[in-house]
Amino acid sequence: MQSVIVLFVMSLIVFSMINLVGDPVDMLVNPESLPEEIERVRRDFGLDQPVHIQYWKFLQGALSGDLGNSFIFGRPALSLIAERFPATLELATCALIIAVTVGLPLGVYAGLNPNGWGSKIIMSSSVLGISIPTFWLGLMMIIVFSVILGWLPVSGRGEIGSFLGLESSVFTLDGLSHLIMPATNLALFKIAMVIRLARAGTVEVMSLDFIKFARARGLPPLRIVRFHLLPNILIPIITVLAIEFGTLIAFATVTETIFAWPGLGKLVIDAIVNLDRPIVVAYLLFVVTLFLILNLLVDILYAALDPRVRLQGDDK
Amino acid sequence: MTDHQVRTEEKYSKILLANIYKPATLISILLLIFIVSCAIFAPLIAPTNPYDLSVVSIMDSRLAPGEQMFNGTVAWLGTDGAGRDVLSAIIYGLRTSLVVAISSALIALTVGLVVGLIAAYFGGQFDAFLMRIVDIQLSFPAILVALVLLALLGKGIDKVIIALAIVQWAIYARTVRAAAIVERRKEYIEAATCLGLSNLRIIWRHLLPNSISPLIVLATLQTAHSISIEATLSFLGVGVPITQPSLGSLISNGFDFILSGAYWITFFPGVMLLATVAAINIFGDQLRGILNPRYTK
Repeated sequence: MQSVIVLFVMSLIVFSMINLVGDPVDMLVNPESLPEEIERVRRDFGLDQPVHIQYWKFLQGALSGDLGNSFIFGRPALSLIAERFPATLELATCALIIAVTVGLPLGVYAGLNPNGWGSKIIMSSSVLGISIPTFWLGLMMIIVFSVILGWLPVSGRGEIGSFLGLESSVFTLDGLSHLIMPATNLALFKIAMVIRLARAGTVEVMSLDFIKFARARGLPPLRIVRFHLLPNILIPIITVLAIEFGTLIAFATVTETIFAWPGLGKLVIDAIVNLDRPIVVAYLLFVVTLFLILNLLVDILYAALDPRVRLQGDDK
Repeated sequence: MTDHQVRTEEKYSKILLANIYKPATLISILLLIFIVSCAIFAPLIAPTNPYDLSVVSIMDSRLAPGEQMFNGTVAWLGTDGAGRDVLSAIIYGLRTSLVVAISSALIALTVGLVVGLIAAYFGGQFDAFLMRIVDIQLSFPAILVALVLLALLGKGIDKVIIALAIVQWAIYARTVRAAAIVERRKEYIEAATCLGLSNLRIIWRHLLPNSISPLIVLATLQTAHSISIEATLSFLGVGVPITQPSLGSLISNGFDFILSGAYWITFFPGVMLLATVAAINIFGDQLRGILNPRYTK
């Protein structure tokens, strides 16, 4: 219920405020057109009516799943978003996978040997990783890997393969070479975060009694890490990452701009610059919905992973 | 000054002395002083004024680092597409970046402080309502909220500051409230209420001074964060206007030239940005260790 209120309030705020900025008609018509021509365009898009009537029409449409047509493309905003979303989803998922496969081992290593040289290097680079501006690093990657070394393509999504009905760049070699740079770039910030979470968790769990007991039983260290340590540190990491997945999709805006990745972010930046209101409003509602769903999923996931949360609920 | 306060201050200065000799702290502090003074004294330090059109010449466009400019000055870090000295542009850009970050942090801090204190002091439904707003806002990533706000507000340096302040107030409010709600239950607040002091006086003179310390570290780290966000927004073209470029817009400016190999236009502003953000982050981490020794162990 609360989610519905949030959605409604957001749409109201965004809709009324976006009408205060600029006149989209200026962007749509030739500057030399006659005043009658401009008036006609304005009427065609329904922009001659007062804001509250425009909002009422929008709301009526929204409830039946129609968020209006893009001014620029002349097509339903929602279908444009649906078209672009898979590319962003693919990018964010790959970034998440990279962040976990790189960050988790490094963080656990740093947590197991807190005073070693290796972990000091890992921890200082994670501070650097948090501080480094992602978009700048993306540009530097282009300079090194595309301009100087010439190994990887600069922009676009490459050839799209299809496997088990899923269409993705992952399934072709060309697509993969396009994907690797943006995904790594997007993953970088998260790698630093996973390292810190994994290290903090490891330090905490390793000092607990059940680990000491496992050691006393003479279990090999790798077995202790695999069966006793990992399940216990994964809960907070998974929770945080699920929430952060939304951030990845938001941050993809930046990465997509750098690498000209044809995803949602590129669409919305262009829409903001061109005052394409329906797209901006539709994107926002889409992202808000996505976040509400993600938060719900995290709550469910948390209950599934940690029996204590479930027990608390039963008490009430 | 009470006895207790003297002891606490002694303790702080001891920990501070023990920490200041750590290389990380020392380097970050020196770097910060250097960066801030560069920004303040920009017109004195910069070799040329990058926005004085009578000095900037298109003849100097895209010189490599170390080459001599048309009027004889050496462009140590090269020049950009319009013939501006990159080093000077960085020093001026640093100024814009810091002004935006610090002023937005101050506004957000003030708003967050007021909301947090009021919520903690009055409690009840009012508190629940304010914190619900904070929760909702914090569940969205800062960069997204800022992007949307700027799409709504339009362009301009003041609008970027407003957007960044709106993005950040919630985190301050939550932190202050957490600290103030603990203080609220203590006996000195009860005593002040019994003395018949007004709510305003209790909040201002008693609750505020005792709840403010967790904000010091937060404000430091948030300033670094808002420098990054501002740079990202400017890179996307929705941040500060071209006439007053920040480090982010300088990087974005060089974006068009990287494929032709003129790396210095993007590389050096980015190094400066990284150095600034990293110095503030390291300093903030150390500060947290000093103010709250439990945290570092």
